Amino acid sequence: MPTVTLHRDGQTYRGEIDTNTNLVVKAGIRQFPYPNLRYGCGMGKCAKCACRVLDGAEHLPEPNWKEKQRLGPHLEQGYRLLCQLWLSHDIEIEQDKVPLAPLKAEPAQGETR
Amino acid sequence: MPELMNHVDFRTALENAIKGKSANKAPFSIAWASGKLSREHLARWAENHFHYVGPFADYLAYVYARMPDGFTEAKDFLLANMYEEEIGGDRHTDLLIRFAEACGTTRARVTDPDNMSATTRGLQSWCYAVAMREDPIVAVAGLVVGLESQVPSIYRRQTPTLRDKYKFTDEEVEFFDLHIVSDEIHGERGYQIVLEHANTVELQQRCLKICEVGAQMRLLYTTALYWDYVAKDLPIEQLDMVERKVA
Repeated sequence: MPTVTLHRDGQTYRGEIDTNTNLVVKAGIRQFPYPNLRYGCGMGKCAKCACRVLDGAEHLPEPNWKEKQRLGPHLEQGYRLLCQLWLSHDIEIEQDKVPLAPLKAEPAQGETR
Repeated sequence: MPELMNHVDFRTALENAIKGKSANKAPFSIAWASGKLSREHLARWAENHFHYVGPFADYLAYVYARMPDGFTEAKDFLLANMYEEEIGGDRHTDLLIRFAEACGTTRARVTDPDNMSATTRGLQSWCYAVAMREDPIVAVAGLVVGLESQVPSIYRRQTPTLRDKYKFTDEEVEFFDLHIVSDEIHGERGYQIVLEHANTVELQQRCLKICEVGAQMRLLYTTALYWDYVAKDLPIEQLDMVERKVA
């Protein structure tokens, strides 16, 4: 089972997930990484789930159109939108204390959890 | 006599109740997945689908109001589900309309209830009836577990086809993308509520039955879309592995 290591606010959270797991879905159903992963709309708009990938990026698919649209140059710094990723390998990620502002304005308010 | 099931057995029973009538087996779904529909067919689908999924927050609002006060987590889930459907990001029905417009129809046609088929009206009415009349836990089983939780598997099959075979752009098919994430959350939370609160034999059996009926209603709706809009252009003989009628 893949291991996820999440760094946020100076804390480290580690947990195992099933293969082909979306971390926003997991947090949404109140399982690891809940309540330590911030996320919002779950549809690649608000960028609240954005994390920098510290290790394991080579196993991820290329960024999709939403990630390119919302993250732009942040992609080169290793940021990805977790709501757009289904994970099948170990990964180490860091979520900033202040969420990234999405490059394209949101049409409606996103929820912060 | 049925016995009270533990959570693992009850979940398996719920999944089996849905599986037998999965809408993936409907001729419309098979035609869609094999790239045989025209944009005109997809426009008719969107005009109908709007009236089934459009009121989803309304259905849930009835369930929310009738959910016992002490079932806080269940109530919070319903509220979050409603919020996410309507204002958590883009309104889901706006994304459906965007897809509909790409298929050649208009917002006015999509929102006009006169453009839905009688079967779609039946499915919508069934959803309202379940929300208003059933025990709220049974209603969650029917609407969320029986109907909403099917969506990721359906759209997972259909979305690549929309891009690769029907040549829609990413933005035009965003409605389908977002549901793969949000409906997985909603479906799974629905399971959690039903597993926790359906704690008598009678409630468990009613949940199983309504899941079965809900999946059957969705299959009925999807099958009717084929006969109402597609059959004249695409004979059933040209489709493989079709369940031709709702048993």
